[in-house]
Amino acid sequence: MIFIQSFLIIFIASGSLVFSQNSTQANEGRVRIVQLLRQENSIRRYPDALPSLLKMLNEQSNARFDTDPLFINTLTDERLLENPILYINCDEQPNLEFPQEERDALRRYMEQGGFVYLDAGIKASFLGQDLGHSYAAWEERPEVKELFSMILPEKTFIPLGRDHDLFRTFFTGLPKNKDLEIKTEQKRLPETVLSFVEREKWPQATYSFVGIKVKGRLACVASPICAMGWGRDEFGAWIPPISFRVRESAENFDQNLKLASFSGGTYEVTREDGLKDIIYSENGQRPLWVQEPNGKWRIFKYYSGEEISNYAHAFYSRLGMNVFLYALLN
Amino acid sequence: MDYAEANGVKMIIRTFLLSLFVLVFDLSAQVPAPRVQVESNPNNKGVDQNTTITPERSSEEKTIERAQEGLQSSEVGSRVGAAKLLGKYRSIKTSILLISALDDESALVRRAAMVSIAEHASNGFPVYDKTLAEKIYSKLGDPDVEVRREVSTMIPRIISPMRRSGMELIEINGRKVYRSVSSAMRPDLYKMTQDAFLDEDAIVRQNVLKYHTYLSVALPLLSLEELLSDSDLGVLLTALDRISSSASQPRIVKKVKALSKHANKGVRLKVVTVARNANSYHSDYRGILREMTNDSDPEVLSMAAVELARFGERVPEQVIKKIKDFLLGVSGLSTQVTTILYTVSSLGVDGAEIYKALTEHSSSQIRAIAWQRFINLSEGWRDSSVWLPATKDPDPKVRKVVLDGLRGRSNNLSEKQLGILVESGFSDVRIFAAQSLLDASQGTVESLGFDLLIDEDTIVRSTTIRAISARRVPGWLTIMKRSLLDSDYVIQRSAMDGLLEDKKEGVPLLIDYILKNPQSRISNLAKIELRKIGVQP
Repeated sequence: MIFIQSFLIIFIASGSLVFSQNSTQANEGRVRIVQLLRQENSIRRYPDALPSLLKMLNEQSNARFDTDPLFINTLTDERLLENPILYINCDEQPNLEFPQEERDALRRYMEQGGFVYLDAGIKASFLGQDLGHSYAAWEERPEVKELFSMILPEKTFIPLGRDHDLFRTFFTGLPKNKDLEIKTEQKRLPETVLSFVEREKWPQATYSFVGIKVKGRLACVASPICAMGWGRDEFGAWIPPISFRVRESAENFDQNLKLASFSGGTYEVTREDGLKDIIYSENGQRPLWVQEPNGKWRIFKYYSGEEISNYAHAFYSRLGMNVFLYALLN
Repeated sequence: MDYAEANGVKMIIRTFLLSLFVLVFDLSAQVPAPRVQVESNPNNKGVDQNTTITPERSSEEKTIERAQEGLQSSEVGSRVGAAKLLGKYRSIKTSILLISALDDESALVRRAAMVSIAEHASNGFPVYDKTLAEKIYSKLGDPDVEVRREVSTMIPRIISPMRRSGMELIEINGRKVYRSVSSAMRPDLYKMTQDAFLDEDAIVRQNVLKYHTYLSVALPLLSLEELLSDSDLGVLLTALDRISSSASQPRIVKKVKALSKHANKGVRLKVVTVARNANSYHSDYRGILREMTNDSDPEVLSMAAVELARFGERVPEQVIKKIKDFLLGVSGLSTQVTTILYTVSSLGVDGAEIYKALTEHSSSQIRAIAWQRFINLSEGWRDSSVWLPATKDPDPKVRKVVLDGLRGRSNNLSEKQLGILVESGFSDVRIFAAQSLLDASQGTVESLGFDLLIDEDTIVRSTTIRAISARRVPGWLTIMKRSLLDSDYVIQRSAMDGLLEDKKEGVPLLIDYILKNPQSRISNLAKIELRKIGVQP
């Protein structure tokens, strides 16, 4: 594909942020992201997200993206083949059932060098119909699995290692105070939250991603919903607010949670190591606690507020930028 | 800092709270040892391996009792664990237990308790009692920053009980007295809130700034002035949102003016909004906007200029050029660009010129808005040379916006103009051409109608048939007759509708068709329609 070669000549700053707000605004040569919207009149999930992320990419790197995604409502749209990156928010689609011709088109797209990002392509079963939850399960959602078993029957999604280049294409590490534009001495997160985030939730700024290689190249990735962390309002403030779900332990929890009153249901969620966590959840409530395969019991605690939201947005945006820049370069 | 320490003058016994506390702390039940249930595993035969022990879960009451004991433990870890666990059980009892833990000497326990109280609230179980809500709110003065942050985040959830008025029973010198409870905030909490405006932590400052109006706590002028110099961007943006009550104060105007040159673009954009809204309070806000039309950032200057134009001010030519260049350079519709794009209308004639330039923008969304606005501002529907280029736009959405705006407004198109539309490669344009036959001269209809009748698109053909029948073009009955024989139902239907409109010649022709083609699908419908107008086929 011609576009693959042409994109490789785009220079991307590495190592440190390069602010280039005064750069030329000409549209020629800008990379256009194609976004699938199968039903144009359906309720959009985070409509400001992708344009905001692309704007950030233009401001913070030397890559040049068109901040106006190109919407297509079918994968057979010929404009798909003219652009290198296809973004699909799986939560935004009425379903993930595609006719044969669209499945063929998607396969052809990947074989010819296209990159597919399935946002919300991972969704833990216990979330049910709830949208807007990003939970680090380590396998693609069943609908995605079924779809790709028809598109690429010889392939399966494989978890991306924590050392994968995708996680450090441009940004490395979790956001620090400077990145968050807050004072050095200010607490960026509550202690228990920061500790969980750094050690388990997003170690070295990684997250639960699975991917499929086509012709030796990573051609498709799926992640829990990340778009919720990309949006900014006109003044630069993050939207919408994001809360954290954090696993916490305490003295005697291994005993206490095993015996504590509970009348809901349990759900199994695949971990990074392939083992299963058992999530305890009651109807109408957010998940209560988790039994981990090593026999440890931990409780889910929920944190919201400005600092939580700002941190989550900063992380998801940095991650999103890494994904799109990785797609561009590979 | 809590209520008891701050108000140690009178012994006010709030009977409701007391009764609840007594209920809770009198519950000193012994925690029974957990029973275990032994299950046989039929797959294994060994003694040690073939049994799994599944402990039986205790009841909610027992679990809470055990957590209550945990809260009284001397071990911080146990108290923290109990406070975390109680967040999972929503009841008045657990709420009170957690609120009582807010006075724990350990910040870890207080944090865990506050997070659990917030969890109750977010799960639909907020605290309703005014006294309890005040107790929670009093932790806005906690020495631990995490506790203060959590309380300040919770303000919207405890406003309702805190502002509730009612009656209370108090005891003064042994006498029980009923007295009214005002909805106003307690003086000590009021003072604490005002202090929190300048809390050392930026998150707390921002939250209190955001929610103080709900609490009816005034923001002192001096505090606002200080907050408008805050180093934290979040605080600064929130403070700018809160200037309305002091907008007329020269000190505040001066601060806003200083912020109009702030290094952060978001802050400057906010200043534009603030200056626009505060324009009625002080004349200098208009001056700030004027100065901002020289901003180094084209987005900021464009926003400032369109706001001035909204006030009826004429915007200098060089600024208009900058707005045009900015809009031509943007690559898509962000919220800000959308705002500017729509408000360019307020520039009047100059705005029309900007829209005209934008009709060639690379973004189809921008082109659509530009065409719509340009045609409206310049009354372009009167002159086909204005809008004809839009019918050649490659994006169907752009064409749709333009054609929708022209329908019913653009009359009497000449043969030449209609000819351009008829030759269009886009079916939506040819449909518009067919619709335009209704207003065109008879000669034009006769000249171009036949080209449209053989169009590849069914809708174009059916629209043309309807136009020809409405205009009674010579030979129209023959066209209708032949169209009834078309294999496409949509075409047949158009022809039928046309014939039904002419009782003298059209209806007999339709009856003749029905008699010759009784099994045709359109015949059934035609019979029904004929009966409706009193004709028995």
